[in-house]
Amino acid sequence: MTATLAAKPRPDVTGIAFSVLLTIVIIFPLLVVCTWAFADVWRFPSVIPQQFGMRYWYATLARVDVWNALWMSIRLSVTVTLLSAVICLPAAYAFARLDFPFRNLLFFSFLAGHAFPKFGLLVAIAAIFLQLHLIGTFWGVVLIQLVGTLLFMIWIPVSAFQAVDKRMEEAARDVGARPLRVFWSITLPQAGPTIAAAILLSFVGTFYETEGAWLIGAPRISTTPVLMISFINNQPVIQYGAVLSMILWIPSIVALIFARRVIGSGAFARGFGG
Amino acid sequence: MPVLLVVWLVIWPIASAIIGTLWLKTDSGYAFSIRTYQFFFSDQYSINNLLLTLWTTAVVAVLLLAFCLPVALYLRFARGRLGAYVQALAIFPMFVPSIILSYAFIRVLGPNGALDLLLNAVHLPKIRTPYLTPWGPVIGLLWDNIPLTVLILVSGLGSVSNASVEAARDVGAGRLAVLWYIILPRLGNTLLVALSFTVLGIFSAFTLPYVLGPAAPEMLGPFMQRTFKDLNDPLNAITQAVVAFAFCLFFGLFYVRSVAKNRPGR
Repeated sequence: MTATLAAKPRPDVTGIAFSVLLTIVIIFPLLVVCTWAFADVWRFPSVIPQQFGMRYWYATLARVDVWNALWMSIRLSVTVTLLSAVICLPAAYAFARLDFPFRNLLFFSFLAGHAFPKFGLLVAIAAIFLQLHLIGTFWGVVLIQLVGTLLFMIWIPVSAFQAVDKRMEEAARDVGARPLRVFWSITLPQAGPTIAAAILLSFVGTFYETEGAWLIGAPRISTTPVLMISFINNQPVIQYGAVLSMILWIPSIVALIFARRVIGSGAFARGFGG
Repeated sequence: MPVLLVVWLVIWPIASAIIGTLWLKTDSGYAFSIRTYQFFFSDQYSINNLLLTLWTTAVVAVLLLAFCLPVALYLRFARGRLGAYVQALAIFPMFVPSIILSYAFIRVLGPNGALDLLLNAVHLPKIRTPYLTPWGPVIGLLWDNIPLTVLILVSGLGSVSNASVEAARDVGAGRLAVLWYIILPRLGNTLLVALSFTVLGIFSAFTLPYVLGPAAPEMLGPFMQRTFKDLNDPLNAITQAVVAFAFCLFFGLFYVRSVAKNRPGR
């Protein structure tokens, strides 16, 4: 920005207004959940809880269904993330570097999954799984959650591989490095951080994936978000939900810390076609 | 291999959904029929659900733009710590899963929620809670969609050069004139991208309308789920899905086209 706009310093009223508004709208509800999680007693007219404490943390962590759901979520997320990495990363490299017939057509077939309303797609898939007897099974949920991660794991790594300077790879090849060696020593270190972010995002995305798990898995396969829905709908003790929310949030916070890199570099927004 | 998986998990389900709802099993084998669609569009309950979805989409889209455009404009020209703070806050909801959001919503705006507590403390009447009304999903979806819309708009505003804004100011254009004549004409495409995302997102929203919305009429997401699972009627559930596809077709195509145009290195 040049001097004409910066020359007149004045209090940033708009900025202050936005920050206050956003703080109320975004931070306040989360603060309330946080407070609930640490409230032993909080009855109606009081603005703050009558008694703070960790009682419901112990109570929630003593529940078998909570641990089962957490374990199921982790198993599902790890399986889905590994599968999508194994399937997508070579494909992403191929899309970024190699030229083959129908390349663009194939690439856009990946986008097709996101050009339809996702839940409708899930219902259509579920109808097929119904005939294959995959409803209510672990692998049925894995397959349906794979739909969500495929695009992520193709799109972000492709731009990561494309960002690697081709000349460096060629230089390495000129001095006699084998293709695998080039990939390992030149390409991967440069594309690595972005790919790690993609893997992390797909792990977290799967962890929070609710629709597919609910449609295919429930009631037999209960992931943490699915358990959370039943807590919201049927659980009279408010604090259980609050504590579970806080636990549920941990992967997201980790993702937040790592994803700043990707968002900051603008690759993320580009991936969304902005 | 990944292509096969996509074909199996994306293209085949859509094709089989469309074909499966049009060629129905009759006594003498399969025949072309639009019976399920006739049922959908003659059933008042289905129509109400569709209308509710369209209404929610329209309201959320308008409110979202009304809220995010000023924020994005501010972020485009803001410098310093306050700008960074606003940006961080605007993107933050991306890292709050919608299930936690629904829970927070109930605790704040639900009956005897935090807002009621605060109002009660200053001796004001309680609010009429939007929980379990059509406004519940609207507020939730709005909250959920802020980060993406702001990101898309900011990235679109990046293509408006400082020079053109300053040139307009030099010849005496006011803020509104700059917005109307310089910025908005260049933002058309970005606005459509943001709109496509919102529409696609809302048509497929499930968690928020399911937890926060009214039981009847319901939005298409919960409606499909209930038809599929509770009524055990996959055929009509798929019909509803195809109807949703049809309504989103324009925005889906637009999304693919704009991504195709923006692909780096093409």
